[in-house]
Amino acid sequence: MIGLSHYLVLGALLFALGMAGIFLNRKNAIVLLMSIELILLAVNFNFIGFSTFMGDLAGQVFVFFILTVAAAESAIGLAIMVALFRNRNSIDVADLDTMKG
Amino acid sequence: MAELIELVWILTKIGAILGPLILSVAYLTYAERKIIGWIQNRNGPNRVGPMGLLQPFADVFKLMFKEVVLPSNANRFLFLVAPLLSLMPALAAWAVIPFGAGLVLTDINAGLLYVLAMTSLGVYGVILAGWAANSKYSMLGAMRSAAQIVSYEIAMGFALVGVLMAAGTMNMSGIVQSQAGPIWNWFWLPLLPLFVVYWISGVAETNRAPFDVAEGESEIVAGFHVEYSGVAFAVFFLAEYANMILISGLAVILFMGGWYSPFHGLPVLGPVFDLVPDLVWFVIKVAGFLYLYLWFRATFPRYRYDQIMRLGWKVLIPVTVVWLVVLALMILAGFGPWFD
Amino acid sequence: MTLFIFYCFAAVLIFAATMVITARNPVHAAMYLVLAFFNSAALWIMAGAEFLGIVLVLVYVGAVMVLFLFVVMMLDINLEKLREGFVRHLYIGLPIAVVMVVQMLLVVGSGIMDPATLPSGDLPIPEDAGNTALLGSVLYTVYVYPFELAAVILLVAIIAAIMLTLRRREGTKHQDPGRQVKVRKEDRLRTVDLPRNQQSGSR
Repeated sequence: MIGLSHYLVLGALLFALGMAGIFLNRKNAIVLLMSIELILLAVNFNFIGFSTFMGDLAGQVFVFFILTVAAAESAIGLAIMVALFRNRNSIDVADLDTMKG
Repeated sequence: MAELIELVWILTKIGAILGPLILSVAYLTYAERKIIGWIQNRNGPNRVGPMGLLQPFADVFKLMFKEVVLPSNANRFLFLVAPLLSLMPALAAWAVIPFGAGLVLTDINAGLLYVLAMTSLGVYGVILAGWAANSKYSMLGAMRSAAQIVSYEIAMGFALVGVLMAAGTMNMSGIVQSQAGPIWNWFWLPLLPLFVVYWISGVAETNRAPFDVAEGESEIVAGFHVEYSGVAFAVFFLAEYANMILISGLAVILFMGGWYSPFHGLPVLGPVFDLVPDLVWFVIKVAGFLYLYLWFRATFPRYRYDQIMRLGWKVLIPVTVVWLVVLALMILAGFGPWFD
Repeated sequence: MTLFIFYCFAAVLIFAATMVITARNPVHAAMYLVLAFFNSAALWIMAGAEFLGIVLVLVYVGAVMVLFLFVVMMLDINLEKLREGFVRHLYIGLPIAVVMVVQMLLVVGSGIMDPATLPSGDLPIPEDAGNTALLGSVLYTVYVYPFELAAVILLVAIIAAIMLTLRRREGTKHQDPGRQVKVRKEDRLRTVDLPRNQQSGSR
């Protein structure tokens, strides 16, 4: 039978993959955005697992809000990406040094 | 063993839906050529078989025996997978469509949501076909149609929200049952603006004339599938026509009372017309909507791209938003025979 | 049987997620992410969250990933340059990921997360109602203010995305239907009186 730990382990693996993706693709900002999506997906897995196995709807409601916010985040992220590419002709994160930060 | 029998039974039901569906796609192409021919004072295909009735099969065999040309520098895998990606959602959405009372493959609760999710996947086939072919024209067509489909999906989704509010359920059979009654009881009347918006965005979603800039023969040759030939092209064709039938079927279920006869529930006429089976009424109504598709194609000139975008974002979406508020007030007031 | 299906979906999900972060071409990465979302949706539906599963397909696969693909295809990215340092970062990224997985597995395996010992929540799931109806009734009553806030966030996101990407180009020609409708005959047509006797008598 599927237990709560199945979902938690799956979430942990996804989260680690997302983190590794951020390290591996440090230059490509679009793949960075995709890695963030993976991490949010892993979080959602934990929420859904707990919601199902504790019989509590609050977890699913929270996943709903995470989905909303993540959709908004990726829309703005991609818009920034397009604006960036127009101005600097690159989406390399290392090229974003005009502010000398 | 019991599981195996159930599996076979489900597969049989899937076959019973897909077989007639593919056959009707074949004859929809025939009907299209005939009807547009008559509208333009021509005869249409009339050489293969009696009255040209075997023409679709001739076309199918021709396409099957042609070579699938792979353009140089094309992305091989995505190029071949794209037609399947556009066909899959067009067929998968039929799983929740009720053809008659209880005549449905799976009667899931979130049926409407499922259909919306499936129709939103069709864009992948188009966008990947355009990109993988490594051709300017197909890329232009893919970009156009991706933007168009995503934009009109919003208007369509809002129109479906109206149906959802009126019916109070997302179960497809439940939506039809809440329209039980004669023709003025169906949802097309209280939701008339939403119905019109749904139908226009349905035509736009399937990339049909007058919104067929994705193909646009006269400007970008054939748009996203310009590099496709043989069976791969036939699959795109199949997906487009299956989508047309799907959008028509949805229009019937959501707005035109599904499998009910136009006189259902009236004193004398009702029982007489109810003698005709559910399925026949459903098919007749779907055929009516399919005729509208062909009529549009023969009648309207193609929209320009910026006009399509303006219509979608500045006309259809505001109309749906306003009518959703009106609808909420009508439901609150228990208006008419629909919401009492 | 359900366990077997779970493992199938989970295996494909992990494979797709791995390919997302290692794929050479961003378009391939986006397609693998689509695959990952699809499998997650299936797993969520298996866990009883059918509304969220379908919404994941509808919102993410149907809209957000199309946006990703759109941007990736529109931008002419120099792939070679972006791949620089991939192997070098692998030596940092991989150990960190492994350590994180081990830590989380330790927590999960310690038995603290046993559903039987966890305190029960405030919103128990009744057995008889549909998942969609339940979520809807909770969203519009208990969580109505967060729901409104989410709507405002989406509105802000729309405005921000449009403002970031909108640019007025010089010299483009476009129609203004309002001005077209307002045109009067007098604005465009000038009638000129030509005296009759000035017609050239070429015949």
